[in-house]
Amino acid sequence: MTAAVPADSETEQLRRQLAEAVDAARDAYRDTTRLIQLLDLLGRPTESAELIGDMLNVLSDAFFADVVCMAEVAGDRLLVSGSCGLPEDDPAYTDGWPVGEAARHTLATAEPTALHGDVRGDDVPGSMAGLDIRSAAWIPLSAQRYADSLLILFRSLDQPFAVADLRMLTSVAVRLRMALDEREHHAIIEQLAHYGHLLARHLEVQPLLDEAAGLLLQLTRADRAWVVTVEGGEGRLRAHRGLTPEITAAWPVPAKSLDDLPACDSGLPEVLKVAVARENGATALLYAGRERARPFAQGTLEIMTILANYIGVALTNAELYHALAERVTRDPLTGLANRSALVSHLDTLLSADDPTRVGVLFCDLDGFKSVNDLFGHEAGDELLMQVADRLRGSVRPDDLLARFGGDEFVIVLDRVKQLSEVAEIGARVCADLDDRLVVCGEQVHVSASIGGVLGVRGKATPSTMLRDADAAMYVAKARGSGQVEVFDEDASHRSRDRLDLRAELLLAQTRGQLHLAYQPIFALDSRAIVAFEALLRWTHPHHGTVPPDVFIPLAEETGAIVEIGQWVLAQACRQLAQWHRLPEGRGLGMSVNLSPVQLHQPQAAERTLDVIRAAGLHPADIWLEITEHSYLRHEVTEYAGALGAAGVHLVLDDFGTAYSNLSYLKRLPIEILKIDKSFVSGVTGPGGGHLDLSIVRAILAIADSLGLVAIAEGIETEDQRTALRSLGCRLGQGYLLSRPLPAAQAGLLLRPQSQMPARAHRVG
Amino acid sequence: MPADIPAPRPVAVTPATEPLNVGVGYSDAADAVTAGRAAAAEALAGLNGTPPELIIVYASVSYDLIALLHTIRRATGKAPLVGATTSGQFHDGRLIDPGLGVSVLALSAGPYRFGTASVTGVTENGDDAGQRLARAARTAAGPEPSAHAAVLLLTTGLAGHQQELLNGVHKVVGAPVPVVGGSAGDDRLLIRTCVFENDNVLTDGGATAVWIASPTPLAVVAEHGWHDVGLPLLVTKSDGLVIQEIAGRPAVEVFREHFHDEVDFERPGLIKPAPGYLSAYAFGLIQPDGSKLVRGAYIDEDGELRTFSPLPLYAPVQIVSCKAEDLLRVTGDVVRQSLAGRDASVLLAFSCVARLDVLAEQGAEEAALIQDAAGDVATFGFYTYGEFARTTRVAGYHNATLTAIAL
Repeated sequence: MTAAVPADSETEQLRRQLAEAVDAARDAYRDTTRLIQLLDLLGRPTESAELIGDMLNVLSDAFFADVVCMAEVAGDRLLVSGSCGLPEDDPAYTDGWPVGEAARHTLATAEPTALHGDVRGDDVPGSMAGLDIRSAAWIPLSAQRYADSLLILFRSLDQPFAVADLRMLTSVAVRLRMALDEREHHAIIEQLAHYGHLLARHLEVQPLLDEAAGLLLQLTRADRAWVVTVEGGEGRLRAHRGLTPEITAAWPVPAKSLDDLPACDSGLPEVLKVAVARENGATALLYAGRERARPFAQGTLEIMTILANYIGVALTNAELYHALAERVTRDPLTGLANRSALVSHLDTLLSADDPTRVGVLFCDLDGFKSVNDLFGHEAGDELLMQVADRLRGSVRPDDLLARFGGDEFVIVLDRVKQLSEVAEIGARVCADLDDRLVVCGEQVHVSASIGGVLGVRGKATPSTMLRDADAAMYVAKARGSGQVEVFDEDASHRSRDRLDLRAELLLAQTRGQLHLAYQPIFALDSRAIVAFEALLRWTHPHHGTVPPDVFIPLAEETGAIVEIGQWVLAQACRQLAQWHRLPEGRGLGMSVNLSPVQLHQPQAAERTLDVIRAAGLHPADIWLEITEHSYLRHEVTEYAGALGAAGVHLVLDDFGTAYSNLSYLKRLPIEILKIDKSFVSGVTGPGGGHLDLSIVRAILAIADSLGLVAIAEGIETEDQRTALRSLGCRLGQGYLLSRPLPAAQAGLLLRPQSQMPARAHRVG
Repeated sequence: MPADIPAPRPVAVTPATEPLNVGVGYSDAADAVTAGRAAAAEALAGLNGTPPELIIVYASVSYDLIALLHTIRRATGKAPLVGATTSGQFHDGRLIDPGLGVSVLALSAGPYRFGTASVTGVTENGDDAGQRLARAARTAAGPEPSAHAAVLLLTTGLAGHQQELLNGVHKVVGAPVPVVGGSAGDDRLLIRTCVFENDNVLTDGGATAVWIASPTPLAVVAEHGWHDVGLPLLVTKSDGLVIQEIAGRPAVEVFREHFHDEVDFERPGLIKPAPGYLSAYAFGLIQPDGSKLVRGAYIDEDGELRTFSPLPLYAPVQIVSCKAEDLLRVTGDVVRQSLAGRDASVLLAFSCVARLDVLAEQGAEEAALIQDAAGDVATFGFYTYGEFARTTRVAGYHNATLTAIAL
């Protein structure tokens, strides 16, 4: 048998079969490669944008498509979100093109659509008209019907997309969508992790909820997002993104209606709701909605729940802060603003840009101390709470009422035009308060002294305003209880100067600005010096000599008088001891003024005697001058008694002036009376002299009857001296005899001189 | 009788576009200044007095390129200039062998507007460079909208990333704008390739482009003439440019199996072929429509099979081969397709140095055939290290192919 040589036809057939096999292999390999390339891309850990770019490039290449694009439905148009083949400035990205029949069909059925030959114009973006598209495929990017995104391939090659092509494209599109969703999910989780905890930085609830609404919108890829809080059976819309005014106008709603999703009538087909779970505090609800019936991505609810947890933590945080801040800015007893809140509020008002002014009323209760003393601190607290309630009712809604401390309250009045308004409100508050209150079962009468000032924004400061109002209050109080005093600018200035002096007085002693002057007291008949009165002088570096009637009250207010008085006494004692060493100085007395404040100090008597003895003097060398006062306390009697027993001579100063009280003379071991200058200057005056003469005569009679020595103060004329002498006044001082002099000059007076009177015998 | 009133004659509204004037100049003077001056002068003379609006320069890398450009620019003035170093040039039916010569093309505006630009950074991020280049060139052509456009793209040949560059350009200009061009050569030295823009010489990593705005559609044509010599195969393992396995077997072994006795590997007359470069055999990358993109391949000194640009993962390939006559068979077709339906003045063509290698002593025939097919139309081109012809899909980088555009 010979080997069979294939006939030509057989060769031809084999050739054909080979060609077919080669074509089939080529197609198979091509498909394999396509799939591998596409799957390889999906598996790469690239970012979404890069994945889309690469995927569209490979699809263009592998499926011979001139243009491949991802498009999303927006209204009735398709908008391109990414493409390979459309110019970057193509209107398909921004304006899109109408959803054509093929796209509509694909979206509705979630099945791919392929056209060949007669690709209709309305299925192709206008800008591609020149490409002569012959074949196209619409691939759903989601397996769900009525999804909103498509993968679209356009080909100028006159070759249809085969069923196998469409199957592969559908499978790839769904995987692409999943890969993108997964990336988006990761990006959201990352965003959530990054921004969620930042919510806790908010210390105020409103900005916190506002940011939360923004974040909610972003994280859920929703069209609208809103945050609702439920308080007191009411659901309140606290923050939102994208809700129309018609919808926001419907809030608040009854809390019950919130249980029912449709009841919060947002008019949206897709709404997700998550509650912010919290142990205490207001409940919050988060809503995310979509305008079209487009389901939220899987896991959105989970994202919202995590966000809700962040919001819950942040809310608790903000509430804690609020409670703390409350504690810091509230007076715990009355619940009113405290001093620091007052100052910061006042500061805010004063820095505001507004032509109106700011008023401050400083209220100090009259007689609060006596309530405390009589009924105890609890009663005092109760009284303060009742007063706070009264004041709350008196102030205007925009005014700030604060407890400044103790029994002091401050009212800040915003938007005041003139001082008279401050005065009017002050008077009203005063009238409202002036009443009887029942405290711990006891009726108590309450009134307040009120000082008011007006501050110019940008100029006044909280501290100056409070200081001036305080000063005005003191002026009011000085006029009696239940009074109102308002300070205009001048009055404030004066009070301010006074306060400045008060502060400087504290330093005057250490700065060597205080010194003593000595005015001799003469025996009017013999013209002998029997004693000197030590007078305190303050030489201020700027104001010069500050009169004692200005600075002594200041020293008394601040309590500096105690130390200063001690210094004066020591200084005067040392000077007297020095003069005692002179032959002419023996038996000389030293009169030193005492402030009532000094008498209230513990062990005041011992300390006084210690100073006297320390200078080497006998208590009998010292005369202590006490000013008359309306009240006479137990301590004063005790003090005066102790000193009197030790031998100190007590002098009652300014006898006969307003507060003159004979009980002083009865209860205190007074030995000397000083007849006030006002009577002395009147004894010789034309016309009116008669009355003063009678008073002086009466005083001298009292002194005489009680065995006291009288000293006439302020003798300025020879006539006065003559008159006093004729009335039987033995001692006197005044400019006629000698002005107060510095120690050295005063010492000169002691020298025996022909014109000087002989030394008087010691008073006693 | 009323006098006949002649009806107003319709005025013929024909677009008063100037014809595109073309001038080609050449010099093989060794000195850059002498060569540049002569070639530029000759090219400008061809414009018949119309001002040049675009200058294209192809030159051997052996010149002092800065001096060359400077000289040409001095003659051509402010007209934008692009160009590339080559591995041979052709125009007027004539081949300029690798290693010498400068060819200058001067174009008047004609119906076109030209905008040129250049970028660097192709190696670092080809896609980004492509986007920047496309935007810049388009902007340089002016804001007036044009109905159609094409991009002439020249890149440095040894930088790689040609398809990425093309991806970037495509992302900006889209499918309606075809891209044509090539990778610069360096007389087969494989050391340094350059592209030019105006006075600038950009070496590897640089690219330049011309945005051609046109009132009529512009078409890019590409053909290679190679045919498969085996069954479809899958590249199953590769590492960058090294192909390790084909169909699960050692790649070199599979590659060699397809060699035919008739093929002569030792070809005379070439200055410096790549070592082991088997010009007659290559990979044909199977395309969705059944066509193939040619990807040159060679066996290197270490016996590894290499390509000039990376093949995609699991690339479906067929080993392809060709003889001189296969290549020359498509030459006329490319030219005819390019000119079909157009009243063109010039054909810009880009042919691969691999084709020149295969053609060997028949090298000059391609240039002659191109001019034959073009007739009166001027032809101007160079031998590249890879050609651009992006027509339909994003893929548009070719090897061993002849691409062309007619203006």
